[in-house]
Amino acid sequence: MPVAMDFVTPVTAENFNELVLRTNIPVVAEFMSYGCEHCRLLEPVLQKVAEKLGSRELIFRVNIATEQTLADRYQIEGTPTLVMFWKGVEIGRAIGPDPSMQALWDAVTSPFEGLSQNG
Amino acid sequence: MGEPRHLPILLFNDECAVCRLIAGWVCRSLQSQGDAATLIVQPIGNDPAALRALNPSLDIWDAYANIHLIMPDGSMKVNGEAVAETLRRTPATRWLAPCFNWQFFGRRPLQAILNVAYSALSDIRPLLGCESCGIPSLWLRPFHWMALTLRGKTATRNHSAVSSQTIRR
Repeated sequence: MPVAMDFVTPVTAENFNELVLRTNIPVVAEFMSYGCEHCRLLEPVLQKVAEKLGSRELIFRVNIATEQTLADRYQIEGTPTLVMFWKGVEIGRAIGPDPSMQALWDAVTSPFEGLSQNG
Repeated sequence: MGEPRHLPILLFNDECAVCRLIAGWVCRSLQSQGDAATLIVQPIGNDPAALRALNPSLDIWDAYANIHLIMPDGSMKVNGEAVAETLRRTPATRWLAPCFNWQFFGRRPLQAILNVAYSALSDIRPLLGCESCGIPSLWLRPFHWMALTLRGKTATRNHSAVSSQTIRR
């Protein structure tokens, strides 16, 4: 499954606060593991969604195999889990979303509907 | 590409108990014979770039899904072919290796059997307690459900349950 361009940016405990929490742009953090088959199925769809969203919404990847403190902090019980953040606050969570374009698009955009970027 | 290598690298999924067991057996077999090294056994890890340095077409997701053997010339053997090459380079099973090259009407029937055996083992890994091996094949799902029920875990859909043990390795 070669990925020509990675639209999902890896994030670690070191830069999580800066990239995910301290931004005014809607953010999705995907908690995943490379050994997880469900994450593997979701990956190409997530890439398409991230590409389509562009700078409107940022999608980050948190590998729980290496970022155990982040997995513990957000009480991740399985992968993939998508956590939606708005101005540093968790506003939604999708646990094991269907790996289809429409389902994933809805999962990562609906929590931000009605939120003003100036609000 | 880094410095030149002279040995193949066998990549294994260290999140999978079955894979760890097999990799451990290969390591012990290599060490017990006191032979010069014939193989490097290495966990896949979590760095996609490090894998691409071994072979530009090696994708980390694929590496976790199927066994890969990276040859010194950069080429890759996968699945049953990787198993055959590993057996060929492991002292305890070296004698078995020529069987897989035996041809019958241009086909390699024993290699084909090994390919099927690898696929079957790969399929049943989730039943053997591998938390990271994901989705069992359709025919295995009733058995997988029973195994989960016996272990007191609920079946998950589109979601791999992460035990605290898996997170805190």
